[in-house]
Amino acid sequence: MSEEYSLLRDIVYEHNERIRNLKKCYPFFKLAENSFQQYKEGKYASLDMGYIIMAILRFFMEENNFKEKDVAYEEYAAFLHVILQQDFAMYLEEEEEGELVSYIFDKLTNDGHPFTYQYFEPLEKKKKTVRTRWIESKMRKEQLYYTLSADGIAFYLETKEMKEESSISVAQVLLGKMISSQNFKGGIQVIRRINNEVSRLKVRKQEVLSALGSDVFEGTKAYDDFVKTGMQWFEEEQKLFAKNKQLIEKALEQIDRHGHLADSKAKDIYRLEEELKKAIVRHSELLYECTDLQYKADEMIRTAKFSRLRQSFDFTQVCREIMKLDSPKLLELLVNPLLCLRTKKTFSLAKIDDMLTVRLKEGEKGEKVKAQVEENYVYPDELEEERIQNNYRVLIRSLLEFGQERESFTLSQWNERLIQEFSSPILQNGDFYSYLVHMCQKKEYPLEKLLKMPDTFFEKQVCLALQDWDRQEEFLNCELLVEPDVQEKVKMGRDAFEVSDIHFSLLYK
Amino acid sequence: MDTKELEIALEIVARLINGDSVSRGDKASQSLYQEYEENGQIYDYVNLILKKMNLTLYEYNYSLYITPGENNKTFGYSNEELKRELGVKLNRELYLCYFIIYCIIIKFYKNSAVSTYTEYVKAEDVIETADSLLLSFTKELDLFDMEELEENSFKTIAMVWEDMPALTVAEGTLRASRNSKAGYVKMVFNFLTAQNLLLENDKRYYITERMRALVTNYFEEYKGRIYQIMKGEAEDGEY
Repeated sequence: MSEEYSLLRDIVYEHNERIRNLKKCYPFFKLAENSFQQYKEGKYASLDMGYIIMAILRFFMEENNFKEKDVAYEEYAAFLHVILQQDFAMYLEEEEEGELVSYIFDKLTNDGHPFTYQYFEPLEKKKKTVRTRWIESKMRKEQLYYTLSADGIAFYLETKEMKEESSISVAQVLLGKMISSQNFKGGIQVIRRINNEVSRLKVRKQEVLSALGSDVFEGTKAYDDFVKTGMQWFEEEQKLFAKNKQLIEKALEQIDRHGHLADSKAKDIYRLEEELKKAIVRHSELLYECTDLQYKADEMIRTAKFSRLRQSFDFTQVCREIMKLDSPKLLELLVNPLLCLRTKKTFSLAKIDDMLTVRLKEGEKGEKVKAQVEENYVYPDELEEERIQNNYRVLIRSLLEFGQERESFTLSQWNERLIQEFSSPILQNGDFYSYLVHMCQKKEYPLEKLLKMPDTFFEKQVCLALQDWDRQEEFLNCELLVEPDVQEKVKMGRDAFEVSDIHFSLLYK
Repeated sequence: MDTKELEIALEIVARLINGDSVSRGDKASQSLYQEYEENGQIYDYVNLILKKMNLTLYEYNYSLYITPGENNKTFGYSNEELKRELGVKLNRELYLCYFIIYCIIIKFYKNSAVSTYTEYVKAEDVIETADSLLLSFTKELDLFDMEELEENSFKTIAMVWEDMPALTVAEGTLRASRNSKAGYVKMVFNFLTAQNLLLENDKRYYITERMRALVTNYFEEYKGRIYQIMKGEAEDGEY
């Protein structure tokens, strides 16, 4: 039962990956089948598309990866001209050959579109579409160039041997075996494949760098992936390079010692040694570039972090955000403000039809809006203000009444009066202390003048206390004198602190 | 209200709305610019009139520029009008053009405060930028479900972009068309040149003062609103 379960699970879960691995092979079989049967009524049916594809891929590999240059269409055409004549003995008129060459190129590039096919995705139980292309085009200095895509390179490399975790290491193991079995010519081919892989990694490194430049998050993912799949094998690869170098040196020693190897073999060994040296140099270059990539990646991630703190409008970050939201409509927000004013307006004639055919909805009742009473909010600070005003009013009136009785008195006397009038907690009231502080800001308070033009906060409170007081008239001619006496101390209530005493006088003019 | 000053203010506004320049360096309008700069009343009138018209004014390098901002029903472009101007038919094509315009902005400005010091751009630079920005989406296109592709998504834009050759062999030279990446970029270049945002010289496209004025001022001023709309979009998406 568990075996059956494991089998089914493998089928379902591994299918996606297998199809992905297969996609690079799809164009070959699609093109190899019947490509020349339909073209010009089978006139060129003798041509083998499979062979031609492999030859073109090899040509691209040579140009892109060995010579490190992109291919122009003319170069491709010249190469195919040789193949047609040499391998198929097909000597055609220039125009006819041009058509044939263009036809093959269009087939290979699928007219500029990717090759697609559908397959069943068992996990999601849906049909999915796979896309791949072998040849990519890019513009440089107004000229179009072509390069092999990663899929194209991978397909070509894998047609001869299985891909392991590190193709360079696998190729080196193979190289070691070939040197041991004295197959030096084959060894040269293997080294070339190693060079191909090194070139592919260089291209990949560049891709990672550009991904980091455009989107640091995506770039970081690509970078991690590159470290896992490429960079972590470097050490092992270098060890194998050293080992193979030793093997070649041994073979060279054998020539020196015995001189029994044929001249051609000796030449092959020397060529192999030369190629291996080149490969080691290229591999070291790759190693250097990857170290540089590490440095640049760190720098780019750091810069991206800092730019997040800036106040300005970050176009790259916003672009990333919009892409994350997957809402290209938001681009309108950023582009429309840049455009000129649209002053010439046009009316679409199609709208007339809409106006004539539009149906009005029947009996749509409007919503009744009831009259509402506006709520009056009282905020905490307003409440506090009202409380202070009330307390001050009481204290001011009490002070004036006491002054009317005594003419002059001290704070301690007034305290006793206040305790009689309002009981002892009044001496613990915070407003009472603020009242005393405000009052002591001035020494004279001419009440009539003060009513006309209050100057301080306390004077304003005195005004308010007098304004709605029916005994206002009795005090209009008065002047309140306040004289602090710092020598005398007054104890404010039980266990309370002491304050300086104050002498009050109420003078009638 | 002083009629003469109002008259000058209206003349400035009229010039700006008609797309004419009001600049210290322009003979026809230097006196108007001077009035705007020196006469506080005229300055106030111009700003008030434009504000009431839902237009925003920016002063940059001794010149005045206005923008309709986003979603301006009176002075802004509708999607249909833009499609006609650009020469595209479908929404996804319009959004691709928006995206290309944004790629061009990014070539010149990483953020509104810091210019990249890029002097000019060429079609191939813009293609490269678009390629690298769409990289994450084009990678996903290796494997996708046709039914799940939304009309207005970046995946769709990436597919339109990725399914085109860089330049069709038939075109040979750079021409505005919907058949190739270079054709699309040329189409956008032409549009931006007509909008007085880019200037062409020997197939090199230079950024104009108008573009600089708007990029450095508008986005600084409205960044809060833009972020808010984006945030709204993000929240909508969560439901």
